[in-house]
Amino acid sequence: MSATDQQPAEHPLMGAVRQYGGDPVDLPFWEACAQGSFLLHQCGQCGRHYWPASRCIEHGDAAMSWVAASGRGEVYTYTVMHRAYTPDTRDKVPFVIAVVRLEEGPFYHSNIVDCPHDAVAVGMPLEVVMQPHPSGLTIPQFRPRGD
Amino acid sequence: MTGSGCAIVGLGVTEQGVGLGLEGRELRTRAVDLALADAGLPRDAIDGYIRAYVDREDLRYMGLSPNFSVSMMTGGATPVFSIIAAAAMIEAGQAEVVACVYGEAQTAFATTGKQDIGSYGYGYPMLYGLLGAAATHAFHARRHMHLYGTTSEHLGAVAVTQRDYAVGRPGTLGYGKPLTLAEHQASPLITDPFRRYDCTRNTDGGVAVLVTSAERARNLLSDPVFVLGAGTGHNIANWHQGLVYENHDNIAPAKARAFGQAGMGIEDIDMAQLYDPFTISPLMQLEAFGVVAPGQGGPFYAEGGAGPDGAMPTNTGGGQLSAYYSTGFTGVAEAILQLRGAAGAGQLKRAETALVSGHGMNAGVQNTWAHACMILGRNPRAKGATS
Repeated sequence: MSATDQQPAEHPLMGAVRQYGGDPVDLPFWEACAQGSFLLHQCGQCGRHYWPASRCIEHGDAAMSWVAASGRGEVYTYTVMHRAYTPDTRDKVPFVIAVVRLEEGPFYHSNIVDCPHDAVAVGMPLEVVMQPHPSGLTIPQFRPRGD
Repeated sequence: MTGSGCAIVGLGVTEQGVGLGLEGRELRTRAVDLALADAGLPRDAIDGYIRAYVDREDLRYMGLSPNFSVSMMTGGATPVFSIIAAAAMIEAGQAEVVACVYGEAQTAFATTGKQDIGSYGYGYPMLYGLLGAAATHAFHARRHMHLYGTTSEHLGAVAVTQRDYAVGRPGTLGYGKPLTLAEHQASPLITDPFRRYDCTRNTDGGVAVLVTSAERARNLLSDPVFVLGAGTGHNIANWHQGLVYENHDNIAPAKARAFGQAGMGIEDIDMAQLYDPFTISPLMQLEAFGVVAPGQGGPFYAEGGAGPDGAMPTNTGGGQLSAYYSTGFTGVAEAILQLRGAAGAGQLKRAETALVSGHGMNAGVQNTWAHACMILGRNPRAKGATS
């Protein structure tokens, strides 16, 4: 078999991204998480930030790139899951899934950690904390932020 | 389509329930047979077929010979959308009688494993344990509570209102089984703020409707219900504006088009049959359609506004929550029954017009989804409208 017949090896994180419903185009985001950095997709023309990656609603893909973000935001809405629907959450119920409104604008779905469930409230200031996930990915979770 | 260009002339509703032991195709076939009988039409009258959801075609088994067959999938908005599409095909001269058909053995999925768990996923949030529509609708409910002070008891009032309708309706899950607010409050949390009785459970069943031109409907012996207006909206627009959690659906454009075509306002509507997988759903839709002001949906339910003697009787057959889940056809079927005066003990006193909505389609992280609504009328024209 010649070298040209070989398929390029899939990125080591791609399988986990796909298994958990992620989009392959967001791989740079997950790579950065493994390095402790929280990125967003930004349009260089108008400055709008996006997550997950997409074209700008005004400028298409003319100037989209991944940029470092603050990792700060607030609880926009949330639910306390009392049922485990995924294998790796079976020993965690009840747990909180929040929609975080990031400072840059986009929403990010995540767990709220280091916080009692009954203390979670809409508007609560948050900061990102990177955590290992059983899939092998490093995932951003959020905890209360003391300003 | 403008005004009452088309009518629904046949309705077929199979047995609806848990564990019926019938496959989806059989349910669809029986629903079509019932709709044909209801319309008094022969089998070969169906010259267009729209199948809600995606599967292999049914035509050979049903003995149908239409000019076209389309599988359509835009979630729970599909039934209303299929009727809009049927009307468009008729007006485009492609068919005279279009069957819009749903039938699924939803409760068999749990044992056969036929339904992939991935279909309940909403993209990367699965990494955080997010799976299923209950959680994604809970985001809307929690945001509504934050903005307006809506309570779990308000959500419970939705569940109780709809159960009260179902208690007297044979063939529904809630038939003869009253539900109290205390029982709602005592039911276990599923995905906060939703308790068990805030959630619809899957059922098996089929529904078919036959759509034809208003002109042809007048020459049939069946009891027609006229499509006075219809509209669509998609919540991706609200996602892009950061308003997706304030809006259960993107109802504004759908409402404008539907009511504009009908030449009517919300005050002309006698009942609402709104897509209701979870209690927050009809509550927020009543607000978006202007039945009540934003934030007033909870008190409206608590005060009986959606009950049979309220300002807007809503989901009058028990809805998905307490009757059965035949996706958006649950509300379509109930509207037709009420407008025909065929709702039995649950017949509303005033039933000339109905607002019907569908909502759905898992759109990944964006959460929700498609919306389609229509205004159905007992008469081909609304009062005061010009032809």
